Amino acid sequence: MGFLQKYWPGGESSQYRGSSNYAYFATRVRAMKSKLLPKEIYPRLMNMGISEITRFIGESGYKQEIDELARTYSGVDLIEHGLNKNLAETFTKLINISEGEPNYLLTEYLKNYDVWNLKTILRGKYYDASTDEIKESLVSAGQFSYTFLSELAGKSSYGEVIAALEGTEYHSILKDYDEINLSVIENRLDKMYYDGLFNIIGESKSKDRKLFATFIKTEIDIKNLKTLFRLKKAEVDSDEILDLIIDGGLELSIKNIKKLLPLSYHDFIQALNKYSYWNSISDAVTSDTGSLINVETQLTKHSLKSASSFSHVYPLSIVPIMDYIISKRNEVNNLRIITRGKAANLSDDVIRNQLVI
Amino acid sequence: MVGEELAVIDASGMRAIGAGLAIGLTGLASAIAEKDIGTAAIGAMAENESLFGKGLILTVIPETIVIFGLVVALLIK
Repeated sequence: MGFLQKYWPGGESSQYRGSSNYAYFATRVRAMKSKLLPKEIYPRLMNMGISEITRFIGESGYKQEIDELARTYSGVDLIEHGLNKNLAETFTKLINISEGEPNYLLTEYLKNYDVWNLKTILRGKYYDASTDEIKESLVSAGQFSYTFLSELAGKSSYGEVIAALEGTEYHSILKDYDEINLSVIENRLDKMYYDGLFNIIGESKSKDRKLFATFIKTEIDIKNLKTLFRLKKAEVDSDEILDLIIDGGLELSIKNIKKLLPLSYHDFIQALNKYSYWNSISDAVTSDTGSLINVETQLTKHSLKSASSFSHVYPLSIVPIMDYIISKRNEVNNLRIITRGKAANLSDDVIRNQLVI
Repeated sequence: MVGEELAVIDASGMRAIGAGLAIGLTGLASAIAEKDIGTAAIGAMAENESLFGKGLILTVIPETIVIFGLVVALLIK
């Protein structure tokens, strides 16, 4: 009924971005989701060596990328590059097969990979990493193409990188970079990304935008919670933590977080009781100084589960697509954890703890 | 005058209009229902070709609406 919306008096003509055709897009994405690795596969992968895993991945959905890259790379590097390339191509495909509103929202959402890549390149330059090492972590799922990003990675200094980015929206922040304030710049890039997202969500009150906003806000909550857990545990100063917090959470607004900041680690955990995230993390949280891996895994699991159940409530909306994006990202992360863990000779238990299944 | 005009309207003509409406409206209804199912089926098929059979069957299920329309139209005639 897109044409009606377009010409209807007082309709959304000013923000009209073409028909969304969710029936096609959401079903196709669901079919893509059904091709993700089932969770029973991970224990099997744990028992394999690197070359077996490469072969297994090369026979699954990553076939094309592994085949293409097999000439240039081998071993763990091959898997890493293959996974990143597949991730980038999958997300680019999502943009290509969508139209109208979801296309617009996804393009904005996937800009987080632009920010991620810029951060990777700057960090790489900061620690004098080789071009190949930087390229290993690039995921060209955003606006920047892989060719452009690898050119950036090949520049000899951060000055040249920033000069090459002149004219992009990130240049205004990057020009303040002076090799000492890397974390400040990274933080500003992240905040700029979320500001941009909230800007476009704020434009209209359509159902899509509302669902999308809820999704983004939950994501921010989970990010903030992870930051809080880490920094509270390390007993970092409240003001410093506040700098790293992203505004706009669903349950944990800046006001609520300010209440949590002065508390001790033990009290902070007690105070989390009243938030809905508590149910998923209560088993993993301990007030001693144990590892936070469990808590973070549980939080990621929570976002996966909530996205998946949410996608059943709104089957023909942007939610199934967002659900697919985070499931896919999680699959790639899991595979990376397994291969990197195996390559570093970590014990199976350590690797298993890190997996989010 | 009014009475004379009314008398001119033929009952069989009204039946034909009724039958036409029954076919036309149910045809539109089937089309609207099939539109979404069809695009969804194409989306699923693009990723997994083996879904062709299921997609085809599901796509033509709303065809029953227009078949009922046809039956009603035949009964009216």
